[in-house]
Amino acid sequence: MNAYRDQYAPVFKNGRNVVLIAISADVDTALASWARDADYPFLFASDTGSAVGKAYGAFKAQYKLDNRNLFVVGPDGKIAYRQTPFREIDPTAYTELSAAIAKLVPADTTAR
Amino acid sequence: MLATLLLAVAMQQPAAAEPQALAVGAVAPDFALPGATQYGTLKNPVRLSDYKGKTVVLAFFFKARTRG
Repeated sequence: MNAYRDQYAPVFKNGRNVVLIAISADVDTALASWARDADYPFLFASDTGSAVGKAYGAFKAQYKLDNRNLFVVGPDGKIAYRQTPFREIDPTAYTELSAAIAKLVPADTTAR
Repeated sequence: MLATLLLAVAMQQPAAAEPQALAVGAVAPDFALPGATQYGTLKNPVRLSDYKGKTVVLAFFFKARTRG
């Protein structure tokens, strides 16, 4: 999760027209306290029953936890890109993800 | 021919027990889940449909306070 935070500007465009939602089976209070301690600038969702993990095929029954699976949902509501599992220590994982997002999100032309 | 078909069906059984990750092009199922940010828990659930028209990255992970 630290990599998402550290690459929030280059990969996730600081949340401009891109919404990052990190999902796990943790309760919302545990996610909030972790987000506060680690200064995570994105959203978390608490999937305690793992229903969403199951719907997306990210749930690993053996461990009763979600695998590190990543899905990019386009503005049309369809899955535009996936990385299953997400290779969090592989730098090319972020390059690929960044390219997938850039294809969907028009370049930011507003001045900073 | 039939035997091959039956074998193929039989081999798909474990896959049914362990759902496969949704494919590119599939409609992303909507959800409503309790949400949280670094500022605390959210009053309203997080819904995928709230972000229609935007690009949403769903990052599933094992557990809070673990690496990755």
